[in-house]
Amino acid sequence: MEGVAMKLPSFKSLAPNAISIGHRSFSRVRRSSSLSVFSAASSSATVATNSESVSLGHRVRKDFRILHQEVNGSKLVYLDSAATSQKPSVVLEALQNYYEFYNSNVHRGIHYLSAKATDEFELARKKVARFINASDSKEIVFTRNATEAINLVAYSWGLLNLKPGDEVILTVAEHHSCIVPWQLVSEKTGAVLKYVMLNEDEVPDVDKLREMLSPKTKLVAVHHVSNVLASCLPIEEIVVCAHNVGAKVLVDACQSVPHMVVDVQKLNADFLVASSHKMCGPTGIGFLYGRSDLLQSMPPFLGGGEMISDVFLDHSTYAEPPSRFEAGTPAIGEAIALGAAIDYLSEIGMPKIHEYEVELGKYLYEKLSSLPDVRIYGPRPSESVHRGALCSFNVEGLHPTDLATFLDQQHGVAIRSGHHCAQPLHRYLGVNASARASLYFYNTKEDVDSFVVALADTVSFFNSFK
Amino acid sequence: MNTSSSFKVFASPPLIFSSRPPKNASQNPRFSSKVPRSCPKTIRCMRDSLNLRSSPNAPSALSFATVEAPLGTKTSDKLRILVSEFRSLTEPIDRVKRLLNYAADLAPLDDTARVSANRVPGCTTQVWLDIKMDEFGRMRFKADSDSEISKGFCSCLIWILDGAKPEEVMGVRSEDLSEMNVGVHGKEQSRVNTWQNVLMTMQKRTMTLVAADVAHRGGERPPHHHKHDLLFKYVNGSYMESSTVHDYSISLLPLYYDFTI
Repeated sequence: MEGVAMKLPSFKSLAPNAISIGHRSFSRVRRSSSLSVFSAASSSATVATNSESVSLGHRVRKDFRILHQEVNGSKLVYLDSAATSQKPSVVLEALQNYYEFYNSNVHRGIHYLSAKATDEFELARKKVARFINASDSKEIVFTRNATEAINLVAYSWGLLNLKPGDEVILTVAEHHSCIVPWQLVSEKTGAVLKYVMLNEDEVPDVDKLREMLSPKTKLVAVHHVSNVLASCLPIEEIVVCAHNVGAKVLVDACQSVPHMVVDVQKLNADFLVASSHKMCGPTGIGFLYGRSDLLQSMPPFLGGGEMISDVFLDHSTYAEPPSRFEAGTPAIGEAIALGAAIDYLSEIGMPKIHEYEVELGKYLYEKLSSLPDVRIYGPRPSESVHRGALCSFNVEGLHPTDLATFLDQQHGVAIRSGHHCAQPLHRYLGVNASARASLYFYNTKEDVDSFVVALADTVSFFNSFK
Repeated sequence: MNTSSSFKVFASPPLIFSSRPPKNASQNPRFSSKVPRSCPKTIRCMRDSLNLRSSPNAPSALSFATVEAPLGTKTSDKLRILVSEFRSLTEPIDRVKRLLNYAADLAPLDDTARVSANRVPGCTTQVWLDIKMDEFGRMRFKADSDSEISKGFCSCLIWILDGAKPEEVMGVRSEDLSEMNVGVHGKEQSRVNTWQNVLMTMQKRTMTLVAADVAHRGGERPPHHHKHDLLFKYVNGSYMESSTVHDYSISLLPLYYDFTI
């Protein structure tokens, strides 16, 4: 684990300055190793804040300098990680290191720096593959983000394989990035989009989805964890049913990969997408996981350098995947920093992160529902239903934007308000917008408490104007 | 009717108030105790009809000249007045309250006007804008929103622009409103930038009405035709069908604002 977390040993010989940075990150690795020993000693990552066992949130906060600031005169309480996560210093250092010591274009050069950059870039790809248990790093295509990854599948696989009358099954709770590309492609191909509605638990109705499947279904594109409802879909089940009718499955794992163990072999999905910036990595990089045989059969998406084999004036031949889908110079530093983020998360352990978030998420749900006139969307948490650590909600008579504005201005609490890129879902729920508080493993019980107190204050402020 | 406790929190007296009886006693109590009997006609003048002159009996309790802004007060003056008003409120909470006061003061919008054609595009909250040109060729605005703060913004914009000539409407720029400093967190255009979106819609639809008016009059070019062309280009920002893109590098007051100036 430590070998993965550190930079490659040969890197130290690159420049004298590099050594000091190497030492710094080495000492950090050592420190966090000792902390993981500590956490092993204290049975599990608990939410309790007594001196005996410090919660995961408290332990990791020092790694996130951005959280230690004041906004508008109050301590920042960042509850918008579902929109983007904060980055630990090791990730920022990895990015800085890349540019400072071995920035060079990849896959092309002969010289030392280029070889180094290429090695690190491909190592990052391997890390991603390992993180989601892909069988081969060639099944990982780096994209700009999950949205681009879905567009890649839509324009490359979709345009080739969808014929008039073919059906694509989505849910009403999909993010726009998993709706609009399919709309664009269905316009071009004559395919038909079908939507699964919610059941009485406010979760996409998997039974209905099963009923909708038919030999005409060519693709099922669903989220793993909903960014509004916090519900988790049974992907394994869905994949089994979909494969039975010969349909492929694309999983939008943006809200699941950062928060829990995601094993693409176990899920057996055909495609899976995620964004780096939601999992402690930088913006500007994301990835598509595609089964080897599928990627092999897909034509290029974007054309340019890197994705070609030979270029003539009147035609070109194309490279093997994943290069076939990575035209142009990639976000090299960002990919490497994503690798560092994966190392950081793996160091803590995804099961531990998930366990912590389930508890903290439940705490958030309970405290939020204890306030009057608050309507939280999605399923109720229970033994069998684990919600994601986020709550989208509305307060009776108060526009979520007003709420979020006041929370920010008077209390330094950062939440999101709007439709969260899920307009069809909001329309289905009968609202124009909602507020959303979303947690990550660097949030603490105190964050939730501050939020609830601030929310109560906000509600009473606006009520006083009625 | 006086619930004076809600007045005590204000740092300065409410700028805009209404002498019309509140819909019900509990709804607009904040205005009642500070309404000098003699004064408020002026504001009603501004809003309801443009034919009355200002009242000479400006209330001394109010420190702003807006109340007695007579017919013909230029848009730029009203802008200045509003800017100084908000600037004088040093406590952030007072600015929010002032905005919410403005929201309550917004003239109601008919249900018939709450149609998608009147929606201001690009806003995260819902804002409906009803625009007409009156018989004097001046622009009349009415608005509503499902967000109280957006309503407050609309109310301010309408106070500045209701009854203005089309050129005055077109002449308001992002920078003018940003000076108001009801707060500028970010300077870039964004979907939460209600001010900017509403202003742009006001300007775009003003242009449409002007063009229709000109056409109606037999296609004569109005004297300021070239100015309209230039101004029309300004209107072409995002969320509108446009071929030219205008650089709004200084945004209007976004929905979140900085109280710490």
